[in-house]
Amino acid sequence: MQAVFSTPEVMKKDFRFTFCPGCDHGIAVRLVAELIDEMNLKEKTICSTCVGCSVFLYDFLNIDCVEAPHGRACASATGVKRTNPDKFVFTYQGDGDFASIGYAESMHTAIRGEKVSAICINNTTYGMTGGQLGPTTMMGQVTTTSPFGRNKEYYGYPMKIAEQIALCDGTAFSARVALDSVPHINQAKQALRKAFEVQLEGLGFGFVEILSSCPTNWHMTPEQAHDRVKNEMIPVFPLGIFKDLTENK
Amino acid sequence: MTDKVLIKGNYAIAQAAINAGCQCYFGYPITPQTEIGEYLSAKMPELGRGYVSAESEIGAINMVVGAAATGAKVMTSSSSCAVALMQEALSYACSDEVPVVLVNVMRAGPGLGYVYPAQGDYNQSVYGGGNGDYKIIVLAPATVQECIDFTYRAFYLARKYRNPVILLADGLLGQMMEPACFGENPYPEVDVSSWALTGAKGRDGKAIYSCARDEKAHIQKIQDLFKKFELISKNETSFEEFETKDADIVLTAFGSMTRNIKAAVRVLRERGLKVGGFRPITLSPFPHKRIYELASEGKDFAVVEMNMGQMFKDVKYSTEGKSSVSLINRPCGEWLSVEEIVASVEKILESKKEGIYASSI
Amino acid sequence: MEKNFIFAGFGGQGVLLAGTILANAFMLQGKNVTWYPCYGAEMRGGTVNCEIVVSDTEVSSVHKQDTDFALVLNQQSFDKFVQRVKSGGTIIANATLVALTKPRDDIKYVFAKMGDIANSLGSSKVTNMVSLGVLSEACSIVSKEYLAKAVELVLGEKKKQFLPLNLKALEAGCGALV
Repeated sequence: MQAVFSTPEVMKKDFRFTFCPGCDHGIAVRLVAELIDEMNLKEKTICSTCVGCSVFLYDFLNIDCVEAPHGRACASATGVKRTNPDKFVFTYQGDGDFASIGYAESMHTAIRGEKVSAICINNTTYGMTGGQLGPTTMMGQVTTTSPFGRNKEYYGYPMKIAEQIALCDGTAFSARVALDSVPHINQAKQALRKAFEVQLEGLGFGFVEILSSCPTNWHMTPEQAHDRVKNEMIPVFPLGIFKDLTENK
Repeated sequence: MTDKVLIKGNYAIAQAAINAGCQCYFGYPITPQTEIGEYLSAKMPELGRGYVSAESEIGAINMVVGAAATGAKVMTSSSSCAVALMQEALSYACSDEVPVVLVNVMRAGPGLGYVYPAQGDYNQSVYGGGNGDYKIIVLAPATVQECIDFTYRAFYLARKYRNPVILLADGLLGQMMEPACFGENPYPEVDVSSWALTGAKGRDGKAIYSCARDEKAHIQKIQDLFKKFELISKNETSFEEFETKDADIVLTAFGSMTRNIKAAVRVLRERGLKVGGFRPITLSPFPHKRIYELASEGKDFAVVEMNMGQMFKDVKYSTEGKSSVSLINRPCGEWLSVEEIVASVEKILESKKEGIYASSI
Repeated sequence: MEKNFIFAGFGGQGVLLAGTILANAFMLQGKNVTWYPCYGAEMRGGTVNCEIVVSDTEVSSVHKQDTDFALVLNQQSFDKFVQRVKSGGTIIANATLVALTKPRDDIKYVFAKMGDIANSLGSSKVTNMVSLGVLSEACSIVSKEYLAKAVELVLGEKKKQFLPLNLKALEAGCGALV
């Protein structure tokens, strides 16, 4: 009998996802795991993890990880890569971690063109602390700290991360993807592969922003949450590749 | 390497870091320590080593933590108000048990303060501004020669104990030149292979993180960290003592103020007064035991420092009430002169009671 | 024996370099010595000074309130540091820019037209070297030979082409008192 589906080799044997039911983190982690297997990276990988739901990566993947304080994963990854240029170094962060508290560290890692890859899960809220307003919270969105919805007077506007990263000269690849449908999941994997490849080829900073559902904090079923990604998020956060240095090669 | 050269404290620290095998420097400019980064930005590329001009001190220290987690010898340097920005990462680094080397060339505080020399970061270094229970090893040089010797020692201790080490210098030491000799780094290499992150080759993945996954494990982790520090305390506590044997009062100072109390002891001895000197070299671990012994012999203390009485509290604590402890201080700026110290000590001896002998300019 | 020196002038007059050379000369003599700078926030044009302490034992305070010798290259520095010279101490002034006044009678004054001498050698930039020569003549604590060795050490290979002019200026300073 032929196996048509199996757990990636790099996943820990006894792992159990602790994400909420319907959360897209599970899919994102699996895509990362598949790529580590397919690109044969496990033995040279060092991951810089963050604070937030994304931190649990080190519970699921059988790789070396160093935990950075909230927002500092890109700085920590810079330290790892500069002293270990032959290693594959990536960060796995939430939008609050990457783009709010860690904005300076993230932007400057891109500006310096550090040869690391960064993954940012954008679910328009602070998930682990229970659904507060974050840098990507959408206009009108109700959160526990925007009980009347996001308005420009109080909160300003949601941030477009992948576009800003693409503006940095040191960025080799920047894309936004989503996990709401199978075609989008396949595109997401292609983008992640590119973000890994530009590092391995020494071209610069590789970045993927992943639009991701958070049914628990959105107070939705998993299906409704994916509908929100499709109908509300993608029109505001358009999918696409904003920079790709490999195109000109 | 055995010839004496006239060199600035900042450059001495930078060159000693190179000699100690520092693979990469991460930093952000701030007076009065900027020459460390300037020097290394020129030297490290020549040596094929790393230099990163970080976006902030927060960035710099977290780069150091990331790099140190792979077993690399790395460092950052900064000054007072900017070291304040690094406190979060230092708390993580202690819990992560990664060998961070941080040089703090103190300026005056609080807040932005000023570039005047000061010793106001005793508390920040020894007790830390980060959260939770943690301890850092703190070395306080008094001469440019010690800037070199203690930089070597900082790299060694950080890796030997997997613990952050702060080299606590001050603007006076950073900016002054003095003849010094680099010699060879006297410390052996430390094997870091059992814990360093190198990629999960032929083994399972390792994670370096600050928290344990349940309450019991976390309690155990903190207790283990403190057991380790007890060992550090036992092995590494160091101090310098002069003319204490028959002393009635012991002048106590750290860092470059040591020079002034040594001279004050000489002057007071010439005047027939029984005065000795004591200088903690490791501010953490602090030489509590030796101070207690001296206090038990009935020797009083006068702590001389350029702050509002920070080490004073540790000396007072160490004496356990066995003798009196006075404070001779100024918050920052013009270093307390030998004459001022001598005059204050004479006052203390006259009044025979402890007190605070603060001096303004 | 512990003696200290303050070198002061405008930023750009080379007082820090002159102080560095003096400190090196003491090091070559086998003495304990420290050099400590003091400057304003400006990078150019402000006043600047450095303090050198030389001692047979370990140098105590590297920055003192008074001084045994003050070497001043401009009027501002003269006015400031003439007050800080110890009773019985010496102030050595660049008479090209400093008026010949003696505000105190308990110190020794040495005036020499250091700037003019430097100009006659072809560059006002070596005023600092002339001043070192004057200093070596005025105080018996440092010899011309060690100063010359120190100039060579400090200029090093990179600035070797400036060595002859600097040594000439030093020599001219030594002769300025006679």
